[in-house]
Amino acid sequence: MADPDSTTVSNTPVGIVDRLVGFGHALREHGLPVGSDDVLTFCAATAELSPGDPNDVYWSGRTTLVHRRDHLPVYDEVFRTYFLNLPMPPDSPTAPERPVPQGNTGTLDVPDSEPGDEQGDDQPLVLGLQASSIEIEREKRFAACSPEELIQLRRIMARIRLEPPRRRTRRQTHCRTGPRIDIRRMARDAMRLSDGTPELHRIDRKERTRPLVLLLDVSGSMADHSRNLLQFAYSMRRAAQKVEVFCFGTRLTRITGALDRRNPDDAMSLAAARVLDWDGGTRIGASLDHFVRKWGRRGLSRGATVVICSDGLDRGDPRLLTDSMEKLSRLSHRIIWMNPLIGNDVDAPPDTLGMPNTLGMLAAGPYIDELASGHDLASLERFAARLPTAGG
Amino acid sequence: MRDATAVGSPASVPELQQRLRNHGYLAGRGLATATFIGLRLGQPILLEGEVGVGKTELAKCLAAIHGRELIRLQCYEGIDTHQALYEWDYARQILHVRALSERELADSDTVGDLYSKDFLIERPLLRAIRSGGNAVLLIDEIDRADDEFEAFLLELLSDFQITIPEVGLVAATERPIVVLTSNRTRELHDALKRRCLYHWIGYPSVDEELEIVRLQAPGVAGKLAEQVVTAVHELRDMDLAKPPGVAETLDWVDALGVLGGEKLDGETAADTLGSVIKDRDDLELVHAELDRLVADG
Repeated sequence: MADPDSTTVSNTPVGIVDRLVGFGHALREHGLPVGSDDVLTFCAATAELSPGDPNDVYWSGRTTLVHRRDHLPVYDEVFRTYFLNLPMPPDSPTAPERPVPQGNTGTLDVPDSEPGDEQGDDQPLVLGLQASSIEIEREKRFAACSPEELIQLRRIMARIRLEPPRRRTRRQTHCRTGPRIDIRRMARDAMRLSDGTPELHRIDRKERTRPLVLLLDVSGSMADHSRNLLQFAYSMRRAAQKVEVFCFGTRLTRITGALDRRNPDDAMSLAAARVLDWDGGTRIGASLDHFVRKWGRRGLSRGATVVICSDGLDRGDPRLLTDSMEKLSRLSHRIIWMNPLIGNDVDAPPDTLGMPNTLGMLAAGPYIDELASGHDLASLERFAARLPTAGG
Repeated sequence: MRDATAVGSPASVPELQQRLRNHGYLAGRGLATATFIGLRLGQPILLEGEVGVGKTELAKCLAAIHGRELIRLQCYEGIDTHQALYEWDYARQILHVRALSERELADSDTVGDLYSKDFLIERPLLRAIRSGGNAVLLIDEIDRADDEFEAFLLELLSDFQITIPEVGLVAATERPIVVLTSNRTRELHDALKRRCLYHWIGYPSVDEELEIVRLQAPGVAGKLAEQVVTAVHELRDMDLAKPPGVAETLDWVDALGVLGGEKLDGETAADTLGSVIKDRDDLELVHAELDRLVADG
């Protein structure tokens, strides 16, 4: 199969090949990642079937040009217009995004992006090495910062070196003081030495990073913090591989993919565009429930440290929140709740954070393993530093 | 050598559908087309879909209709090459060395024998490479394996050859049929997906599922089968944590068949609900709606 196309494609009449290749281009224009190799396979596949039958063309294209389930609706639309000459519906999907129904309280608000950010300046700095002029801003609450200060803060945040939490895996590696004996290695030695006792070798289990799931509250009451948290999530996503990011207000949106852009501005605006309920109301319970049902049950949060960034001002039913928190705690390794309201109590020492007295927090309280603040840069740094050992 | 017409590759999509059907597997046009193209072009087929819609079953049927051996690699977190590819049988090697005399040990051939096939434990992937055209390789639940393993698999799937340092290059003379399945607990790498033909298996329609039940459980009363399938479809529309798959439908039909009922009523449904619903919260939800479900059927 090294070269499936050379013989089979040449049997297909030229006009049809043009048509098929054109279809690949049309898909690409609508945002599907269709490579030249995919198009070659598509042509070869269609040649095996009957190119005159729309059914065959549809299914061979669907299996060779589409690699994700989310892309299927777009494929169907493009197929309809390209081959069947049917008009596109007015709000046809162009981006590979599942259609999200418009909410009743949601408003679309793309956050400001920082102008003129130079690329290539993303070398990670170790904590505490920032310029001294910024040092003073560290304890200043995000809510009290001017826009310029916020932009600078975000730059620093982008460079925070984050170490994700770790866990032990089943894989084993040579280790001086490991708990188990490495039979394989000793057998090798025994054969090499032919007699005499081989040296005792030991192995231990390797460590790997634990998945991290961030659930960010972007509702109105969190407006002062949500964009910074988004930036924080971006840094996190850059620093570690297994990071999933979701936003919620009245509904849950997954923005992991959007944050993968190299340019932070692109990433942030793309993520912001996906979230349709910026600064709206909060239904934490319903959003968490959605997360549990849609993602948690599938194993996304299994063994993961889940970080919920919210003020706990829930407008939904507290019973739903308790219920979904209970399920979430069973599906994940550890739940950390980051609440900016904690930081407002300036007199409280950072490590003896009390539980804020909102109804939402009371409902969720029993299932929270750890509380954190997140109202200023210093608290985010403290949080980042504590992550590697969070929950062990 | 088998009779080529009996075990050869199907010549068209309908023929493939018919032959799968003869083995009790009902494949829709889309799935059959994807499989047919995969067979023709020698590309791996990646099947994604909800739990229990017959992803694994397809590989078994493909093996059956081609008269090939099914080699299954079940993936799990932390799987490594020793479990997937090959391993040396160290204990036997040592015993062998101990049994040799000094003089025999000096002979270079004897030492070479230590790394002969006798001491090589074949794991599924090596076995598939060696069997080549006589095998159907099923890589099950690839989403459970780690990323590194996926990268390794990518390499293997493109060349179908590996190098064992002590033995040398092992290459497949003919490619085996490869089927990968994923439950989408995580997103697979695009590179792997690109190497495969992709097909999403959804839940079947009522008519299709009814036909599946008739194929798989021919002894069941028609009325009962209809009721069960309708009820299962209602269940899938409910907001369940774990909606029942086709496998659960068949389990339920079997369970009811054991009880010997001719039709589904509230009581028998409640008694056998454990075959379809596997979650406590779901059970509570369904129990409340049970009468309606059965009445509809």
